[in-house]
Amino acid sequence: MTAPPAGVGEVVFTAAQIRGRVARLARRISQDYAGRELRLVTVLKGGIFFVADLARRLEVPVTLDFLAIAGYGSESAVGAVRLTKDLDESITGRHVLIVEDVVDTGLTLGYIHADLSRRGPASLRVCILLDRPHRRLVDLPIDYTGFEVPDRFVVGYGLDWRQRYRQLPYVAALAPEELEE
Amino acid sequence: MSGAARGEEVARGAAARFAHPAEAEFARLLDFYGVRWEYEPRVFVLEREAEGRPTRCFAPDFYLPDQDLYIELTTLSARLTYRKTRKVRRLQALYPEVRIKLFDRRDLRSLLLKYDRSLGPVRG
Repeated sequence: MTAPPAGVGEVVFTAAQIRGRVARLARRISQDYAGRELRLVTVLKGGIFFVADLARRLEVPVTLDFLAIAGYGSESAVGAVRLTKDLDESITGRHVLIVEDVVDTGLTLGYIHADLSRRGPASLRVCILLDRPHRRLVDLPIDYTGFEVPDRFVVGYGLDWRQRYRQLPYVAALAPEELEE
Repeated sequence: MSGAARGEEVARGAAARFAHPAEAEFARLLDFYGVRWEYEPRVFVLEREAEGRPTRCFAPDFYLPDQDLYIELTTLSARLTYRKTRKVRRLQALYPEVRIKLFDRRDLRSLLLKYDRSLGPVRG
């Protein structure tokens, strides 16, 4: 493994650990959805690496679709959360699995879950790579969880700090000095 | 004071009535995601003297009615947070049906970092 770049500290989950966990999640999901086609819905941009790896491990037919939202604090956020990119196709009558990188408060996922529920999917479940349940404000059923993440600001495998570090193949803690900029 | 039903305007207009800027920021965050909240809606009695008069009370900062969850925020340093932690534990012991979470300085900082916001001045 190459050394973490400047600004990135200790590796929390290695690429090998993530690969193993994604494979395990994919086996469970494949069993649960046997005989059905699954629509994977991912929120840009954090979930792209996770959904790409997960989709390639699934043994059921899948289609992909993407959402983007203007979250709190983002430049395009005005007053209230809103979609900045909607799904390309209808999910009515489809079996939908929301694939997210990380959930802590559940505010974003809660909004997305409620929005997609209103569109009449045949089923709607949630798969997340990283969970921080102790900070949850909005209770949601999480059907598939990769790891519980310690209370540190982590980057890599899709997770960013000011849009950087998403490309790292592992999940690592952000160096404290980076947060003090 | 409550929010979300009337949108961000509530949090902005009422910000001066919050005890700390972190509370105003938290209210804005909840409003942004349409989560209904009430500010210090209930006072819990933690101790009473022999005659029954309350001697120690606790009013958690926020109540989220849709989650049936109370939230207490503290921007105190970890060393000083233990008094709040004791209050929360006492409340949980006396009112086991009440769901409450303590968001300490570290939680708040992590939460606001996620949105690239700062915590504001330290209290205490």
